Amino acid sequence: MANWVPLWLHRLGSPPIFYRFAGAVYPWALGLALILAGVALYGGLFVAPADYQQGDAYRIIFIHVPSAWMSLFIYGVMALAAFIGLVWRIKLAETVAMESAPIGAAFTAITLATGSLWGKPMWGTWWTWDARLTSELVLLFIYLGIIGLYHAFEDRRQGARAAAFLVLIGAVNVPIVHFSVNWWNTLHQGSTIRLLGPSHIVASMLWPLLTMMAATKCYYIASLFARVRADLIASEGGKAWVREIALGSAKEGKA
Amino acid sequence: MTPGSTPAACAALLRRDLTLAWRRRGDIALPVLYAVIVVTLFPFALGPEPALLARIAGGVVFVTVLLAMLLSLDGLFRPDIDDGSMEQLMLAPQPLALLVAMKILAHWVTTALPLIVITPVLASMLHLPPAAMPALVLALALATPLLSLLGAVLVALTAGAKRSGMLLALMLLPLCVPVVIFAAGAVAAAQDGLPWSAPIAWLGAGLALAIVLAPLACAAALRIAMDS
Repeated sequence: MANWVPLWLHRLGSPPIFYRFAGAVYPWALGLALILAGVALYGGLFVAPADYQQGDAYRIIFIHVPSAWMSLFIYGVMALAAFIGLVWRIKLAETVAMESAPIGAAFTAITLATGSLWGKPMWGTWWTWDARLTSELVLLFIYLGIIGLYHAFEDRRQGARAAAFLVLIGAVNVPIVHFSVNWWNTLHQGSTIRLLGPSHIVASMLWPLLTMMAATKCYYIASLFARVRADLIASEGGKAWVREIALGSAKEGKA
Repeated sequence: MTPGSTPAACAALLRRDLTLAWRRRGDIALPVLYAVIVVTLFPFALGPEPALLARIAGGVVFVTVLLAMLLSLDGLFRPDIDDGSMEQLMLAPQPLALLVAMKILAHWVTTALPLIVITPVLASMLHLPPAAMPALVLALALATPLLSLLGAVLVALTAGAKRSGMLLALMLLPLCVPVVIFAAGAVAAAQDGLPWSAPIAWLGAGLALAIVLAPLACAAALRIAMDS
């Protein structure tokens, strides 16, 4: 086993190295996200056939389902980063956890909004107190509570630690959202895509969905890295490496 | 000076908190008055039709109790942090989780117990059938300690923040959803004459888990909040 993998990971925990790494990855992730989203939208809106039951209205799943996945995935990443930040006191992990929260909240809000847009023609109602919908709404509230707690402290790191704790407490809700359609047999349809075994969805509908999923992942990486870079500049303002970057870009601006 | 034994320290802390609460008896009455006023607002808002009120009685009582407890939670650690006794508790040789558990117990006795005593009256004001009353009281007896324990963890998290009133509601209410669902579910089942032991058992399981975990989490959260 090569020694450079753990070494590289340890080095990445250092703010200046992560700043440069994130700066290098950011344009690629954003570009990939835009291309994949374009391909997926084309595939979903033009190539995929209309559903035999739902007609064209089902096409909203190409936004709705990847957003729903991301709302849970980001919470998972956030919980992992929060745990690392609380246990090993790594400043970067706290930053990653706290800067993930607004992105996750946005994806949750998109999920709820597109779900209600889809629900109106399909179920005849914008909102119903179904287990999946309710637990997703609670997830949004938890995200908002985490963001609120983080900003309630004057000391940034103290706020991050308290909010990271709340992240871990709120993690109870994630399995509830995930399994709610299996545990309570309510209005929301079950999952049709299986990680193991064949999916219950036709291939021409599946590939745009998976492409969109990859696009949202890339977008998350790009957005997170941009936010973390901004946060590092703000919180490490007095450090020498930030001054170097600031002076360097000032010189570039003059030239 | 040798440190006192852990049980003695817990008993002393419990006695101190209860004495402090008893010296300010008016504060104990406030959540009860709040609950009475909120419950009386419902017939004014919805109309005094007994069938309608009986159907919503269980849910209204639970939400009212939850809100009343939420209002009182802010005072759980705030006075101790302000006068410095929280630092002394953290420096004490006894485990902080146990001492915090005593503070939560004292808070539950002074806030939730009067609410549980008053709820049969509130429920009959809303025409809840007497057959559902045991379910209501039992569900409250299990749900209110759960709310106290959950709330204490979140209050501890906000202890270091300057303003926390609304924030506490934003953080606590989503986590209280399962408690409200099971507690109100038990009352609704009893009202319909169905067996209501299953939701009560879920509340009991949640309470057992919270009694073990919440004081530990609360102690950890207090250490985060005070460490500045």
